[in-house]
Amino acid sequence: MDIVLLSLATLVGLYMAANIGANDLANAMGTSVGSAAITIRQAVVISIIANSLGAVLAGGYVTNTISKGMIDPSLLAGDPNRLLIGMFVALISAGICVHLATFFGLPVSTTHAIVGAVVGFGIVSVGPAAITWSKIVSIAASWVISPLAGGVIAGGMYYFSEKKILSTKDPFKASKRYAPFMIFLVFLVLILSVIFKGLKNLHIQIGFFQTILLSLPIAAAAGGLGRWWLRFQTRPGRRLRAAQSEYSLVDRLFAQLQILTACCVAFAHGANDVANAIGPLAAIFSVVKTKGVALSVEVPFWMLLVGGIAVGGGLLAFGTRVIDTIGKNITEITPVRGFCAEFGATTTILLCSRLGFPVSTTHVLVGSVVGVGVMRGMGALDLRILKNIGLSWIVTLPFTVVLSMLLYELLTWVLL
Amino acid sequence: MRLLLSSLFYRSPFENLQRHADKVKECAQIFREAAICHIKGSCKDFEALTDQVAKLESEADAIKRNIRNHLPKGILMPVDKFQFFQYVREQDKVLDEVEEALFWLSFRPGGIPAEVTEDFEHLVQSVIPPIEKLPELVAMATDFFKTRSDRKRNKMKSLIWDIRQHEKEADLLERQLKSDIFEKVPDALVVFHMIRLVELVGNIADHAENASDRMRGMIAR
Repeated sequence: MDIVLLSLATLVGLYMAANIGANDLANAMGTSVGSAAITIRQAVVISIIANSLGAVLAGGYVTNTISKGMIDPSLLAGDPNRLLIGMFVALISAGICVHLATFFGLPVSTTHAIVGAVVGFGIVSVGPAAITWSKIVSIAASWVISPLAGGVIAGGMYYFSEKKILSTKDPFKASKRYAPFMIFLVFLVLILSVIFKGLKNLHIQIGFFQTILLSLPIAAAAGGLGRWWLRFQTRPGRRLRAAQSEYSLVDRLFAQLQILTACCVAFAHGANDVANAIGPLAAIFSVVKTKGVALSVEVPFWMLLVGGIAVGGGLLAFGTRVIDTIGKNITEITPVRGFCAEFGATTTILLCSRLGFPVSTTHVLVGSVVGVGVMRGMGALDLRILKNIGLSWIVTLPFTVVLSMLLYELLTWVLL
Repeated sequence: MRLLLSSLFYRSPFENLQRHADKVKECAQIFREAAICHIKGSCKDFEALTDQVAKLESEADAIKRNIRNHLPKGILMPVDKFQFFQYVREQDKVLDEVEEALFWLSFRPGGIPAEVTEDFEHLVQSVIPPIEKLPELVAMATDFFKTRSDRKRNKMKSLIWDIRQHEKEADLLERQLKSDIFEKVPDALVVFHMIRLVELVGNIADHAENASDRMRGMIAR
């Protein structure tokens, strides 16, 4: 019986993970493919590897995994089966919501979907009083904060690139000068997030100042290596030198930087969003294994890896056509703009994830693209889409709450 | 399946602006052909050329409407939308003036008075170069807004300066021609017709210059 239950739960978890890949990850890779920095095939390979690494190294939610902090699982201690059904229902409800949204092209957040689903079964199983309503407030705050933060960081980065590189007399020389600094920043964000989240997952405690002391030299070394690589590539006779104009040289340089940020976006996605599918699955496994309710569940390494691969698989199965469409439609994204948007998105996701805000990769990325646009960096952006995003934010939570409540009632009536 | 990110991107209005500028250039070249043909009097092709201009003008009008109708509120552009619309308006006015000038030419099929034929031809020739430079200016702008390169901005500024110089030359010719008309043409009716015609032809270059000024505003730091 346990095997059947676990197999079913795994299937539903993988279904949710694949949906996340088809929706969120396809968007995240769209900017890189749109600027022709990478091909679709490269996008898929990068996604699968970096997303899995992100999930494994920085995605392990040791605490709160079980319910995203929305409900207190100890209230269900007397009846672990209810928690099991609840988590199962949460996965199905969120999966259906994201699937429908992906089908109709609606901008939903997979994070908000799973949060709504957990709240839904929480209300029915233990009552509204058990819901941590303050957490809802933090979600509402993240609706504003995350795209805004993405926009400010990406816009700032574009402003810097325009003033210090694009508008100079010799943009190629300037880009060679500042690219190592940008590589340094990207690595700094990446290393900090790995140390803060990943090492905690491996039970290694490092203080804040030690973390800074450790990450600064590594990031500086990466910047130094990047500097050497750029000089090596731009020596007379090298392929990069064969570019026709100065701007195509700058574009080529930034396209290489964008490969780095594309990896980072996929990494940040893995760190932030894989847990949406794997967290409830880990809870189900824990209940089946221990026959009890734990306050927090440690997500096994293999589960994170499988989740990361499933998300990549979802992208491979359903997302390639979407990326292709994006790549052909978003010709306005140049490598410089794409780099800035992705840098803003990565930094915001990892920062918000560190601060405990449940952010949506897609929404942060949209905020970052708009941020570059506000700095007059994009051809034409349809800001009316922001209204749709607002609507989807408002609709996703109630939709998954109600669906999860209905499915929970149905399943408990059938099974218990 | 649509995705959020792709629906965020709107088709750049600069594509249509380029098509509009190309139509304006084509119109101006036909206008030159029609006007020079008419100068000598009894031009057989004049009507056919006027029809061609009318057809091109209506096509350009459709492009202009398309630009205006598809830039609703909420579209974020790399330039101020008001300045962009002002540019479209000025570029379109070139066509209106070309069409109007052709009408005025057609009112007196006998041609241009012999006393001012040569100067009038000079004026017609002088208003065409600024218009011919408009498509190049739009293409440069499209490229500039993609890269924000200072070097491209300087190239645009130099092209705008060229247009201004051409317009200045056309202005001088217009002023001189007006004076010659009053001096050399005895018939008051012909004087009235010629003065109006010369003003209209001069306006063609004026609007090209105005358009380039709007563009200068768009690329200002």
